[in-house]
Amino acid sequence: MPRFAAHWAQMAFGTEVLYSFIIIACSLIIYFSTKEMEELSSYKGIKYFRKAFLFFALAYFFRTLIKFILSFFSVPRILDYSPKLLGPLSLFLFMYFSALAIFYLLYSVMWKKLDTNGKGIYFFHLLAIIIAIVSILSRNPLIYLGIQLFLFIFIFAIVLISYKTSRGKNNNIYKIYLLLFIFWILNILDILVPNFLQTFQMLLYIISCGVFLSILYKVVKKTGST
Amino acid sequence: MAKRNKLEIMKDILAIIQKNNNNIKPTPLSRKSNLSSTRFKEYFLELTQKGFIKEINRENSNFISLTEKGFRFLERYKTIVNFIDEFEL
Repeated sequence: MPRFAAHWAQMAFGTEVLYSFIIIACSLIIYFSTKEMEELSSYKGIKYFRKAFLFFALAYFFRTLIKFILSFFSVPRILDYSPKLLGPLSLFLFMYFSALAIFYLLYSVMWKKLDTNGKGIYFFHLLAIIIAIVSILSRNPLIYLGIQLFLFIFIFAIVLISYKTSRGKNNNIYKIYLLLFIFWILNILDILVPNFLQTFQMLLYIISCGVFLSILYKVVKKTGST
Repeated sequence: MAKRNKLEIMKDILAIIQKNNNNIKPTPLSRKSNLSSTRFKEYFLELTQKGFIKEINRENSNFISLTEKGFRFLERYKTIVNFIDEFEL
């Protein structure tokens, strides 16, 4: 590899690590700073909200692992990585936790309408497993795009419904949630389809960090955590 | 009057105990909580199981008082409700 290219790859990976660190730190701070509120209230909405951010942190951990493998072993796609188990396993876990993070965040907003004795969430676990299995079995970028489009339509419909039911309240949290979902899906596509976002990667990192930091700010402000 | 949610009812019961110098008998507590006796029993059991209240036997009578966790719940109640509202949970 020419020296300039090697230097560039190192810088790109360094940026990736910093980006992941910010997202994982934000997610874990949100998860731990809301622990007492859940323990005191046993409120389901808070429980699902916290878990969503735990899953975001786990998904980002596996995302970084995948990026590390792609960058340091010069593998074009994670499924091509040998030893054969590590590539598919990390992709499976990344997709599973990614889907769960989205579903849990949606569920935290929608649980009052969807909850059937708390069993509704198992449907989303099943859906997340199916998405993760399809992601490792399929090698077609179009199928990946299809899955993300399905997730996006699903999310958009639910966010729209919730927005309509909460109209009149002076609250713009739905805009932040929607941005979070859009950028999360772009983050997934960044892993699944190589070079999909190369030109706008830095922009994706900056906006994703901005979204997570704004949620963290709101959480810290509301919980009174320091 | 709007229907109270579960958190609000829990807060109301704990606040009644606190207002009575952290010392109240079950019957007046049930009356002041504005709940049917069945629902009051359910909440009473839940609050005891969660460690928010404890029963003390004194002079052959049962008294109810808040635990440290119960006081903490009252202290954090507004923050919890604001958080739920802010994030539409």
